[in-house]
Amino acid sequence: MLAATLAACSVSAAAAAEGGGAGEAAATEYWAFVVPAARHAPAAPTSWARNEIDAFVWKQLHARGLSPSPPASKERLARRVALDLTGLPPDPDQMRSFLSDDSPDAYRQFVESLLASPHYGERWAEKWLDVVRFADTDGFERDGYREHGWRYRDYVVRSFNQDKPYDRFVREQVAGDELFPGRTEALVATGFHGAGPRHVVGGNQDKDEARQEVLTEMALGVGQALLGLTVQCARCHDHKFDPISQRDYYRLEAFFGGTELQDVPIATESEIERSEEAKAAHEALLEPIQKQLDEIERPYKERVRERKREALDPTHAAALATPEDERSEEQRRLAKEADSQLKPVWYEIIPLMTQEVKARRAALRQRMHALNLQKPDPPAAAFAVSNLAEAPDSHVLQGGDFRRKGERVQAGFPAVVGSLGFEAPAGGAGRRSALAQWLTAPRHPLLARVMVNRIWELRMGRGLMSDPNNFGLLGGMPTHPGLLDALAVRFVAGGWSVKAVDRLIVLSGTYRQSAQIDPGHASVDPDNRWYWRAHRRRLSAEVIRDSALAASGRLNRALEGKPVRIPIEPEIYDLIFTEAEPDNLWPVTPDPFQHDRRSLYLLNKRTVRLPFLANFDQPDTMTSCSVRQTSTHALQSLSLLNSDFMQAQARALATRVLRQCDGPDPACQVEQAFQLTLARGPDPAEARLASEFLASEPGGLQDLSLALLNRNEFVYRP
Amino acid sequence: MNSSTGPERCAERAAASRRQLLCRAANGFGLVALQHLLAREAGSAQERNPLQAKPPHFSATADAVIFIFNVGAPSSMDTFDPKPLLNERAGEPMPASFGTVGGQFTDGTNPILGTPWKFRRYGASGLPVSELFPHVARHVDDICFVRSFVTRSVVHAPAMYEVHNGRLFATHPSIGSWVTYGLGSVTENLPAYVVMPQPEGTPEGGTSCWSQGFLPSVYQGTLLRPGPSPILHLRRPAGMTRDRQRAMLDLLQAMNAIDAGEFDSEMQARIAAYELAFRMQAHAPEAVDLTKESDATKRAYGLEGERTREFGTRLLLARRLVERGVRFVQIYSGGGPLSMQWDAHKHLKQNHEKMAGHSDQPVAALLEDLKQRGLLDRTLVIWGAEFGRLPTSESGNGRDHNPHGYTMWFAGGGAKGGQAIGATDEFGLRAVERPYNMRDFHATILHALGLHQDRLWYLHNGRHEKLTDFGGNVIQSVFG
Repeated sequence: MLAATLAACSVSAAAAAEGGGAGEAAATEYWAFVVPAARHAPAAPTSWARNEIDAFVWKQLHARGLSPSPPASKERLARRVALDLTGLPPDPDQMRSFLSDDSPDAYRQFVESLLASPHYGERWAEKWLDVVRFADTDGFERDGYREHGWRYRDYVVRSFNQDKPYDRFVREQVAGDELFPGRTEALVATGFHGAGPRHVVGGNQDKDEARQEVLTEMALGVGQALLGLTVQCARCHDHKFDPISQRDYYRLEAFFGGTELQDVPIATESEIERSEEAKAAHEALLEPIQKQLDEIERPYKERVRERKREALDPTHAAALATPEDERSEEQRRLAKEADSQLKPVWYEIIPLMTQEVKARRAALRQRMHALNLQKPDPPAAAFAVSNLAEAPDSHVLQGGDFRRKGERVQAGFPAVVGSLGFEAPAGGAGRRSALAQWLTAPRHPLLARVMVNRIWELRMGRGLMSDPNNFGLLGGMPTHPGLLDALAVRFVAGGWSVKAVDRLIVLSGTYRQSAQIDPGHASVDPDNRWYWRAHRRRLSAEVIRDSALAASGRLNRALEGKPVRIPIEPEIYDLIFTEAEPDNLWPVTPDPFQHDRRSLYLLNKRTVRLPFLANFDQPDTMTSCSVRQTSTHALQSLSLLNSDFMQAQARALATRVLRQCDGPDPACQVEQAFQLTLARGPDPAEARLASEFLASEPGGLQDLSLALLNRNEFVYRP
Repeated sequence: MNSSTGPERCAERAAASRRQLLCRAANGFGLVALQHLLAREAGSAQERNPLQAKPPHFSATADAVIFIFNVGAPSSMDTFDPKPLLNERAGEPMPASFGTVGGQFTDGTNPILGTPWKFRRYGASGLPVSELFPHVARHVDDICFVRSFVTRSVVHAPAMYEVHNGRLFATHPSIGSWVTYGLGSVTENLPAYVVMPQPEGTPEGGTSCWSQGFLPSVYQGTLLRPGPSPILHLRRPAGMTRDRQRAMLDLLQAMNAIDAGEFDSEMQARIAAYELAFRMQAHAPEAVDLTKESDATKRAYGLEGERTREFGTRLLLARRLVERGVRFVQIYSGGGPLSMQWDAHKHLKQNHEKMAGHSDQPVAALLEDLKQRGLLDRTLVIWGAEFGRLPTSESGNGRDHNPHGYTMWFAGGGAKGGQAIGATDEFGLRAVERPYNMRDFHATILHALGLHQDRLWYLHNGRHEKLTDFGGNVIQSVFG
C-alpha cells in the first residue's frame, strides 16, 4: 500500500527551487489536461456485456487472462444496490416484488425506484459533504454553531434528488450569487466556499492572517473538490511535478479576492417581523428568570469582589480608591487593571452558596435552558458569500506566509488548462462567475473527468483514478483510461446528469457481479483492480447506523431540516470545550423521534466527534476526504456490542420480529431477523445455528438480533 | 491494496480446515472447535493487523512516550528559566530595543512583571527551578530542559495544534497517532495511544488536539478514564453478563466465519477485533485498578492529598499503561474553565501555585517510579505546553501568551538529564540561542523512538504528508 510512489509535494525545498514551475511545460500534454475525446467501446462478448462499461472492463480483464464473476444473487444484488444508491437497506415490500418478478426488466425497474427515492440525494450528500469537508460548526476553540449552515446541506440533498445538471450545480456553488441573482437556492449553494473550518477568536487577531486562512480554504475547495488537483502543495513554492505553479495557485486564490463569507438574509419582511415578535416573546419569558438569577448571584459577586479588593496590591488599590476624575493617566491604566482583577467568575461565586441557594439557582438555569430549547428560529438566512465593495490586491505569498507578499497577481486560470477563451475580470465582482463559466465549459478537461470518477468510486468501491482528488502528474494513470474518458464525454453530452451515470454503472454487468473471491483470479489480481468481482467494501459509518435503525424499524425517514443533537455519552459531553459554566453545552433535541433521523442530519461538530461514527472512520471534516478509510479495530466492536444505541436497536429489532411472527415460532423469528438485517433468509446451516441459539441459555431473540447487527455481512456491502 | 500473495496462501491452507471446523460448529455448535478456529483466524488476520508492532527505522532509545501537556501555558520565567532582571526592572517598560511585543490581549506596552517566586539550584547539575516545583526540582539531573522552543501563534488552539500535529490547524494527525501508525502496538489488550484529559474539561483545541486526522481511525487516541468503565462502551450493558455476551459472541463469530471468504483477511481482521474487544473488557479495568498499588506508591503520587489526588491518579495510570505496553500516553494538566488552566492572564501567583500544586508532586513521583522500575530508560517523558508567557504584565498581576521562546523538558527515553539547551533573552521574551520550532520538537521525539521523520508518511489528497512536513532538525544534544 505504501509502495514506491514518488513523494508528490515532498520533494525537498532545494529541488523545488531548482525546478521552479517546471511542471507547467511538461504538463500541457499530460492526458488529464487534454479534453477527453469520444472513445469507441472495445468489442466484448454480448453474453456478458450489458453496456459500454462492460466492454471497457472486459478488455482489461481479457488482457490479463481474467474473466468476470457470475452475477450476484438477486437478494444480494438488491441489498447492494439499495445500500449504494440510497444508503439504506431495500424496502421489504419493494424487495418482495423484485424477487417475485422474473421479467428481464425487473432489476432495471428496481433501480429506477431507488434512483427516484428521496434517499438517493441523502446518500450523495454524504459523499459530497465529505469532499467539501462540511460540518455544522467552525472548528477551533470556539467551534461556534453555524446557524444557517444546514441549508447548504439540504441544497446538496435536493440537487442530487432533482438530478440537477452537474455543470449547473457547480456554477451555483461557485458563483450562484452572481450568476443567478435573486434565486435563494443559488445563494444558499455558495455555502460551498465556507464549508471548511474557520478560526473565529477574540483578542488581537491579525486581520490579514485570518483573511488569508479564509482565502486558502476557498481556493482549496475549488482546487480539490472540483478540479481534483493538489493545489494545496503550491501554496508555499513551486514543485517540479506539480502542474499548478505557485503563481497559478495565487491567481486561483485571487478569484476570491473580493469574496467574503456572510450569512445573507433570505426571509421575507413578514417572516422577519414574525420572527422578531417571537423573539421578543421568548425574551420576555427569559427575563424574569434572568432577573431572579441576577438577584441570587449579586450578593455573592459582591463578596468575591470585596474579597479581591482587599487582596489588591497597594498601587492598584490606591488607583482604584482615587476618584475617577482625579486619576492620572497611569492611575487610569491601573484602575482598569484592578477592575479586571476584581471581576467575579462563576466558579468563584458558586462555592460560596449554601446547598439551598445552589439548588435554587440550578433549577432556574434548568428552566432557562428548557425554555431555550423552544427558542424561535432567527429569520432565515443563507450561509453564503457576498462580494466586497472593493477587492484588495492579491499577491503571491512567499513560502505561503501572509506577511511575505510577493508579486501582485490578477485572477487567472491555471496555465495547464488555459483560459478556454474565458477572461477573468479585473474588478471584484464577476470574478467567480468567470471561474464558474470556465470550470463548466464543455471543453474543460478536468471537471467532468473528476466527477465521473467520484461517481464510479462511490458505486464501485474504488475510483478509476485511485485518488479522486489527484488528477495531477503524480496521481498516476487511471486503471481504465478509455472508460474514464467515455464516461466523461457521455456525462457532458448527456447534459451532466449524475443519475444517468449512476444508472449506467449499476445496470452494468460489472456492477452486478458476485463479490465471491475466486482463488485463481485473486492470485493474479488480489486487489481486484480489474473488476473481476464486486468489491466487498465496509459500509460507511452513517450507513451502518442508518441500516441498524432501518432494521429495528425505528428509522425516522424525514428529509432535510435543522441538525439534530442526539443524546451523547457523559464522557463525550465532557470533551466539549468551554471556559463558561459547563451546563447546557449540548441541548439535546427534545423530540426523541428526531434522534432516529438519518446520520446525515446529526449535528456534526468539528471538535467533538460522535464516537460511533468516528470509530467507523467518518472523516474529521478538517480536510477534503475523497475516499473513506475503512479500518477495523476493537473499539468498533465495543461500540457495536455495548453502546446504548446498539442495545436499543437490538431490543427494537427483537420486538419487531416478535410482532411479525404469530406466537412462539422460532423458525419464523430466525427468518424475519435475517430478512430485516441481511435482506435474505438464512441458509440451512445458519438457520440451525440461529435456532439452536434461540433455544439455548442464555440465548434469546434480543441477543440473536444483536449478533446479526454485528455480523460481518451486516456492516459490509454484499 | 497490498499485493503480497503470502497471506493469501496462508489463508488458503487455513481455509480447508476452517470449513470442516465450521461444519462441526454449525452442527453441534461446538464451542471448542469454534475457539480453535478463532485462534487460527486471529493468527492469520494479524498478517494485516494495522496495529501489529513494527520495528523502528533505526535503533531507538525509547519505546514509549508520556507527554504531559500543561493546558493554557505555564510561564517559563516563573518555573524553569529564571530571569533575575525581571525583578530588578519590575514596573518599568521593556527596553525599546526589544520592540513592543504583545500577546493575544495585550499590546506589549505594559510594564515588566517580576516573578513572585525564588529560584534555587538543584542536583549535581545545579540547574535552577523555582519554588513552584520543589519535587520536580529534585530530579533535574534526569531532566533535559530546552529553553528555546518557539510556536507560531499567540492563540491557544492553533498553537496547541502546532505542538500536537505540527500545523496551526487541526488538519493533520497528532504525534500520538503518527507514532502508533509508525510503530504499531505491543499490547493486544489495550489501545496503543491513550489520552487522559483533565476531568474538568479539554484543552482549548478540543479533541482535535489528539485527532488521528486523515489517518484511519485505528490510530485514534483512545480516551481513558479512571473507574469501572475506563474506555467508552467498554462496560457491558446492564443485564449482559460475561457468559451471556460470550454465548452471543460465539454465535456472531460462527456467522462471521461463514462470511470470511477464503481470502478475505479484512473479514478475518474483524473476527479478531471482536476477540480483542472481549479481552479488553477484562484487561482495561485491570489496568486502571489501583488497588494493587502499594500505599507507598499511592502516597508518592499524592493520592492521599486533596490537591494532588486527581492528577496523581492519572499519572499513576500512565505508568501502569506504559508498563502494560501502551505506546503513547497523552495526558493533560488543566483544561476546561480558566480556574483549571495554566492560563494566568491575571492572578499569576494564585493560578500557578494552584496548578503546580496539582502537578509538582505527581510528576516527580512519576519520574521516580519509572526510574525505580527500570522503565525510565525506555520511556520518554515530555513536559510541555503550547507556549510560554510574556515578561510584561497583564491586568497588573498576570501574563499574556508568549510563543516567541519558552521551555519544555524531556526526561528518560535516552534524553540526557542535568542539562539546559538553548536560551531566551535576559527578559525571557524571545529565544535567542538555538531556537527550535515544532518540527524540531517532533523530529526529536520521533528520533528517540527510532523513527525517521522522512520515512513516516501517509498519502493524503495526493500529498505525502509527514509529521514534520518539510523536515525538522533533531535536537541531538538532547541525547547527549
